[in-house]
Amino acid sequence: MARATHTVLWKLLNVRVLYTVAFVLRIVLVGFGVYQDKTMVVKYTDIDYHVFTDASRFVTKGESPYKRSTYRYTPLVAWMLSPNLYLTPHFGKLLFVTCDVVCGALLHCLLTLRGSSSEAACYFSALWLLNPLPIGVSTRGNAEAVLSLLVLSTLLCLELKRPLIAAFLYGLSIHMKIYPVTYGLAIALSIASQGPSGGRWMFQRLFNKDLLQFAFVSGTVFFGLTLAFYFMYGWDFLHETYLYHLTRRDIRHNFSPYFYMLYLMAESEWSIVLGLVAFLPQAALLFLTSLAFHTDLPLCCFLNTAIFVSFNKVCTSQYFLWYLCLLPLVLPRLSLTVKRGVALLLLWFTGQGLWLAPAYYLEFEGRNTFLYIWFAGLLFLIINSIVMVQIVSHYIPVTVQQKKTE
Amino acid sequence: MLFLYFFLTVLCIIPHGASQKGSVSCGLASTWLESVVLSINIVKEGFHRELVFEIRHDHAPCDVQVLLVQGLPSGVYIDQYQLASLREDTGLQVLLDSAVDVEDPAYASSGFSAMVYLSSPGLLQAVVPFHGRYHRPSTSGGWEQVPISSPRLLLRPEHCKTVTPTPPHKVVEAPCTVHNESLCSWLEIEGLQVLGFVSLEFPVGDFTLAAPVCAGTALVTMLCCAFLLRTIWKHGTF
Repeated sequence: MARATHTVLWKLLNVRVLYTVAFVLRIVLVGFGVYQDKTMVVKYTDIDYHVFTDASRFVTKGESPYKRSTYRYTPLVAWMLSPNLYLTPHFGKLLFVTCDVVCGALLHCLLTLRGSSSEAACYFSALWLLNPLPIGVSTRGNAEAVLSLLVLSTLLCLELKRPLIAAFLYGLSIHMKIYPVTYGLAIALSIASQGPSGGRWMFQRLFNKDLLQFAFVSGTVFFGLTLAFYFMYGWDFLHETYLYHLTRRDIRHNFSPYFYMLYLMAESEWSIVLGLVAFLPQAALLFLTSLAFHTDLPLCCFLNTAIFVSFNKVCTSQYFLWYLCLLPLVLPRLSLTVKRGVALLLLWFTGQGLWLAPAYYLEFEGRNTFLYIWFAGLLFLIINSIVMVQIVSHYIPVTVQQKKTE
Repeated sequence: MLFLYFFLTVLCIIPHGASQKGSVSCGLASTWLESVVLSINIVKEGFHRELVFEIRHDHAPCDVQVLLVQGLPSGVYIDQYQLASLREDTGLQVLLDSAVDVEDPAYASSGFSAMVYLSSPGLLQAVVPFHGRYHRPSTSGGWEQVPISSPRLLLRPEHCKTVTPTPPHKVVEAPCTVHNESLCSWLEIEGLQVLGFVSLEFPVGDFTLAAPVCAGTALVTMLCCAFLLRTIWKHGTF
């Protein structure tokens, strides 16, 4: 009986069926979004999607996309979505959902390369393909899937030993959003450790040919695009795309544990010092994780992203997607029991719920719930740390797995 | 009835000067002007609110253009892109007198004016969404009061380029339409009957908690950081 159910399930989750279901599901939701936008007061489409389209309108007229206030992305996104104006206003959404499904396919490839059976790879990539969070985000017209696609394809190319393509994609991903820069040290150490062991110290090995090539290509892509856009759109480009995110002092409530402190101290002379101090735990953790897990890049990138997001000075729910797309690569190697895994998942959702409730009362009911939001933000950090600690301590490194199979 | 309508129309538009097309000057009957009552209401709670304007009057002798000029303080903002989307969806016509930043806190912003265009015939009602800004934390927490002043009411008979003053109301210049292409003369109504008193409050942080909040935040982040560092150190391969 169990076997029969298993076979039925497997047939259901056949790769092609899975991709088709995932794609159709998204298309249906895009269609529903069009209907809801037309008929209901509460819109389905994310405000950012309108920002992209407005920015596209500016770039196609030869003007700066930064004329659209709150446009804080590379001009590439505005260019990419210009068919929104000429073809169909839903072009961008179709592009994002396609990226989303391709991410699922990349996850499947990476999982099989990392030793999962095709069946297991199917199950784990389904965690992305059928996950309501990425489905919701991409069908509402948010561009996060493009970045997930770039990050996953960088990892795939590194796994396939195609360092130059990987370097190109990595340079492009940092250009699109700044956070993959946190993978830099881990990628460098990983490339260096695969090359000939030149020196005694890890950092001496950093100067090998492969690594310099990687750094050169990704650096050229990143700086080339940055310079080109700087000459096209000037200071606005640098400020809106990079500096705004680095110096962001958004005091409005968000998931960050630092939110209330930064709001209360926003005008104090200590504000800048506090901002820098808040950067320290993030930096220390990113550095140590890169040293500790660079031999397993997907795990390292997952942890780096989760650390970066959890300890960041600003954190919104779309940031969770940054590490969610890497989670399926980590899960197959966890020795956690299903019960414990579900418990951790519930804990994480509880943490979110406990934050969302007072945030709703503050934002939509006008109650003064700042203190509760602060507590909830700290609790959410504690929960995130517990989940990360559980993942790290129950992770079976690839070397152990290989030894077992030998 | 037809006669009455004709009479009122004559009362409404009294041409002055040349009767050339486009240079018609007209006035509004003072008896009718006295019947105009504006009611203001604020609906919804929290940081996302709506200003509801409604103008009631006796039967209008002719089609009248209405412009409400609502001054708004630095504590709130209106999102011009939301206005653009509402213009498409509901036909709401609002023009802002200056560029409004949608992210700055109240203490880094300045006030602005919203010009709300309405036209009769039809219900003279407009629902304008606006949002609260974050305010400076106070020493006692609680709420920050944000008073909203009464708007100015400007009227203009449809198809009239200029308007003759009807004392005590004076004639002022303002953009003719929401597209802000040209200026028209409008009759500003003095001593307007306004129903509804409007004041808002937004929650603010409690500055007296700054020290414990900083200490608590630092303690929890340091502990979480140490907890993670220890685990990574223990399980990592160096």
